[in-house]
Amino acid sequence: MIGIQDLTKIYRMGSVEVRALDGVTLDIAKGEFIGIMGASGSGKTTLLHMLGLLDLPTSGRIVIDGTDIAKLTDYEKTMFRLYKLGYVFQDYALVPDLTVMENVSLPAMLRKDRSEEQITSDSALILQKTGLFDRRDHLPRELSGGQQQRVSIARAIVNKPDILFADEPCANLDSENSRMVLDLFREINEEMHQTIVMVSHEDWHKDYFNRIVRLRDGKVVSDDIIERKAS
Amino acid sequence: MGKKELKVAFLLALRSLQRGSRSSVILTVLIVGMCFTNMIFLPGLFNGIGQSITKQVVDYEIGNVLVSPKSGDQYVSDLGATLDLINGMPGVERATPHFSRGATLKYRQRVLGATVRAIRPNDEKLVSPLYTKMIAGSYLGDGDTGEVIIGKPVAGDSSVKEEDEFQSSLGGVRVGDSITIDYGNGYVKDYRVKGIYYTGWSQADSAVYVTSADMALVDPKAVDNADYITVKAKPGYSEKFIKDELQQYGVSEKVQTTSDLLSKVMGRALQSFAIINMVSMIVSIIITTVVLFIVITIKTLSSRRQIGILKAIGVDKEVIMHNYGFQVIIMAVLGIILGLVITLLMAAYLSAHPVVTPEWSATLYLTPMDLFLNSLILFAASIVAGYVPAYQVSREDIQSAMRA
Repeated sequence: MIGIQDLTKIYRMGSVEVRALDGVTLDIAKGEFIGIMGASGSGKTTLLHMLGLLDLPTSGRIVIDGTDIAKLTDYEKTMFRLYKLGYVFQDYALVPDLTVMENVSLPAMLRKDRSEEQITSDSALILQKTGLFDRRDHLPRELSGGQQQRVSIARAIVNKPDILFADEPCANLDSENSRMVLDLFREINEEMHQTIVMVSHEDWHKDYFNRIVRLRDGKVVSDDIIERKAS
Repeated sequence: MGKKELKVAFLLALRSLQRGSRSSVILTVLIVGMCFTNMIFLPGLFNGIGQSITKQVVDYEIGNVLVSPKSGDQYVSDLGATLDLINGMPGVERATPHFSRGATLKYRQRVLGATVRAIRPNDEKLVSPLYTKMIAGSYLGDGDTGEVIIGKPVAGDSSVKEEDEFQSSLGGVRVGDSITIDYGNGYVKDYRVKGIYYTGWSQADSAVYVTSADMALVDPKAVDNADYITVKAKPGYSEKFIKDELQQYGVSEKVQTTSDLLSKVMGRALQSFAIINMVSMIVSIIITTVVLFIVITIKTLSSRRQIGILKAIGVDKEVIMHNYGFQVIIMAVLGIILGLVITLLMAAYLSAHPVVTPEWSATLYLTPMDLFLNSLILFAASIVAGYVPAYQVSREDIQSAMRA
């Protein structure tokens, strides 16, 4: 599903060159719940941004579902993100002036293959699944951090993306809410066979992943498949 | 950019205005409204002054068309035949002659220089609304002799001391009083004041009116001569039509329409008004453009991360740009509507309570075209002011925006 070959990202900070990714090669298969772990500055978020078409690599190749993303125009990348990818950010990143329902519906509203009825029913279904349907008319500021992150997850999966990217989604949450969010990810992964690529630095999160890729100084230092017991 | 994208952009704009900072929206709308009012008020007032002067000139000075002596002549001669000719023409309501003499008025201890205008009262009624402006006594009749009507400023007020008067007067003449008029040619006569009028047009209010029959006693030339003839057009006939007709039918005197005369007399004044109007409009447009530019720039700068996130989840940059564009459009439209309401309320107020000075009285003269054009100009300026920062921020790359 995702093929990464010799991916490099070099940032220049004045005369200093920072090698954020240093020849990462990786394949991610459909349906995997993969955790990218490592210490701060190891290149986890940089890798996620490259895979999510939010940044350009300095060199190397990323192929998603047979599409070499380096060949896409700006507009094609936007459409690729809209139709094929979903994102969950550390700080929820909801539109503060939209209700829960409107936030969740937003990506679906831009798709040309979705009718009004479909958007409403899909959004309602996702909100029921995330347990926030009764909060659909609330604004993000009226929700707790955990609830906001669940809305963010609902927004990310409303378009049924091929891949869901999550950038430290529990960083701002307490352990109870973190567990709730991770349970939701696991449920989505297992029930919908949703491919999930999640960045985390919390060791206890590894219980939820079925594959863990560890980075250090921009290089893959381990890549382990985890046998998970049925939950 | 499809319908769906525009719909999303509009939804984002609407929600941002509805649920964002209300005070910022209200303030912006208020500023646009005030700028619109400023844009339209001054030109409207100047137009009102122009209209008021034009109306007063038509009503109390020259009518719609003025027939004055040929070059080199002192008077319009052969008055009877000329009047018959003019009055018989299509489109002419009535033509009436004026014959004026400078004179000295005396009342008790007061002496005052004034113009005595000789008119044919019944014909004058068809040309000028002077007869409706009597504030005391009554208007002249055709056969009146030894009687005058005088303007309120000429009559004066007995309660105001001479040294306190803004304009010299006879110090409180009342209807029935007798005033002495010295024409300077040796003819001196006492006249009974039959009425006192007030038109608001200073030249008319500073004059004294007698009948032509009376003036003929002062100056026999008044019988068959006039300084000029004022011509009133029938409704539906243009001044130009009357002028062309008069020239075509052989009126050999100088024939000028009100527009001909005013374009010369008021040309400079109107030019000055136009310059002031232009300056006022440019200032308003600059203020509106700068305010909206600042508002949208602040909004976009404070939402850079938000914009980055939207782009990350697949919202096209055009949608983001139009989101801010729609916000400006909505605020500009609301501001223009507010400005229109304020302007129309002021127009209604000034219509009931005109701005009155000794020289003119003015209302707010606005045409639908003025309102439309000013709205359009302000709207266009607002769009430019909003879309420039929106365009810039929508082009920023996702990483830079998200790091903000």
